[in-house]
Amino acid sequence: MSFITTYCHIRNNTYSINGRVQVFDENKKGFSGTIVDIYRHLELKYPKFHKMDLLAKTAFIGSELLIQNQDFSTYEDDEIAQLFANSESSEYSDFKFQESIQNGNPSPSQFVYTLPNILMGEIALKNKWYGENLFLVLPKFNAKEIKEQIELLLLNTSKAVLCGWVDVTKKEINAFFFVVENYTNKGEKLTEENLLTLYNN
Amino acid sequence: MKVFIGAENIISPLGNSAEENFLAICEGKTGIRAISNANFKQDETLYLAKFKEGFESSKILDNCFMSLAVKPTVLYSEKTKVIISSTKGYIGEGVENALINVVKRFVVGKPFKNQPIIISNACISGVLGIAKAGEMIRANLYENVIVIGLDFLSDFVTYGFESLFALSKQKIKPFDENRTGINLGEGCSVIVLSKNENIFKNKPLEYVSGSSSNDANHISGPSRTGEGLYRTVKKTLELGNVKPEEIGYISAHGTGTHFNDTMEAIAFNRLGLENVKLNSLKGYYGHTLGAAGLIEIAIAMQQLKSQIIVKSLGFEANEKDEKINITTKTEPAEFTTLLKTASGFGGGNASVIIRK
Repeated sequence: MSFITTYCHIRNNTYSINGRVQVFDENKKGFSGTIVDIYRHLELKYPKFHKMDLLAKTAFIGSELLIQNQDFSTYEDDEIAQLFANSESSEYSDFKFQESIQNGNPSPSQFVYTLPNILMGEIALKNKWYGENLFLVLPKFNAKEIKEQIELLLLNTSKAVLCGWVDVTKKEINAFFFVVENYTNKGEKLTEENLLTLYNN
Repeated sequence: MKVFIGAENIISPLGNSAEENFLAICEGKTGIRAISNANFKQDETLYLAKFKEGFESSKILDNCFMSLAVKPTVLYSEKTKVIISSTKGYIGEGVENALINVVKRFVVGKPFKNQPIIISNACISGVLGIAKAGEMIRANLYENVIVIGLDFLSDFVTYGFESLFALSKQKIKPFDENRTGINLGEGCSVIVLSKNENIFKNKPLEYVSGSSSNDANHISGPSRTGEGLYRTVKKTLELGNVKPEEIGYISAHGTGTHFNDTMEAIAFNRLGLENVKLNSLKGYYGHTLGAAGLIEIAIAMQQLKSQIIVKSLGFEANEKDEKINITTKTEPAEFTTLLKTASGFGGGNASVIIRK
């Protein structure tokens, strides 16, 4: 049996850990500013963060929130898998890169972020994780598909999976992050129902 | 549990079936051609493996899917899942919903019992799709998994790779000491995995194992030590209980960029696979991104079935260090087991093993 051992949400101007809304100093307006405010609030010092696009920044903050609340040190460097999913792929940066073409100067730094799996590369790089990575694009949050893929990862060489549903568009951020582990008895059982409940939490 | 793999199909600039594609390759043909004024400033010639004008992306996918050599009942069975591997989907037609539109259009008029899913892991999407299909069957989630790989050329992608200075101004030369970068390509390929041998119209091969590993090194550059590639191949060998000396052919990634090809050579040397016959198929197809894994596995399967290993088109001379056994001739070869690898942006590396 696998368990969802910790989770968090980032939604536009708020974030919560295990369902508890967190209070933080807001400086910047707009949800792209909120991500930077959370970064400051967590006192993270990771210069590469500032080069990331909004999708990768959001996923990176989500991963840091989970890592701060969860002990991953018992796992080998290739036993932690990453599974991320959304509906829009890298659309936020796709539009930015398209604009850079229209402005006469295609931007290589924006082009790199026009692949959704790059965010897992950022998290792997930060944590020196050599595990499996999977990015799914689904029409909407789908607990059945996500649960299936988590279970497949745990059947093979992975012992924990850091997961995220990260919708980042021009209009909103709707992100849900969670950790699934085997060999534990805490948290919620990994079921479709629990995933959906926590997603909507 | 034995997992079968077969019914490979390809629609590419080289032909409209896997057999047509393989024949063209055996004749030394390439889909890559010079296209003038194809760069951003529209003043330079680029080498691209491009379809002739006037095709419809979703029709190519439909044709590739509908002509699969499997029992027709398999396509829409409740025991069948569809995986689509792609990086940018229909981005050439507009940015909004470019990837999810692939599924939305594909399902119209097709009575799938299970929702097709998209895997988007940059250039390893195709190989990863095959590995996931194998896992899904072994875990008894589905009896059959149909894996589709597709990507189409667009100004978006071409100008992107140009902005990274990754495009070669000549025809691509994977693994050659004088290689100068990638040529882009486009295409669609479909491969079927199943626990049932009798769904295939022609004798299938056996899917043995697969895995992936991030190299945790750089988001757009390969590891200098080949760590991620080394780890995934090692894992795939272990999962399949296959010894390195059983591998008779490697279908490598071989993009033609300086760093990627050196990284692969380092990893294969670390794995003790430096003497195994190896080629890159990108001299025939260019880099077809999310489709690359599928197209190249389909051609690797054709090579295994016909016991021919094709030459690594564009290759002339090995680098001084980290030598590997790159094919310079298309010729008969006796082998039973092949290894396919892929590496990509975001630090991804994936590998699968297939045998007769």
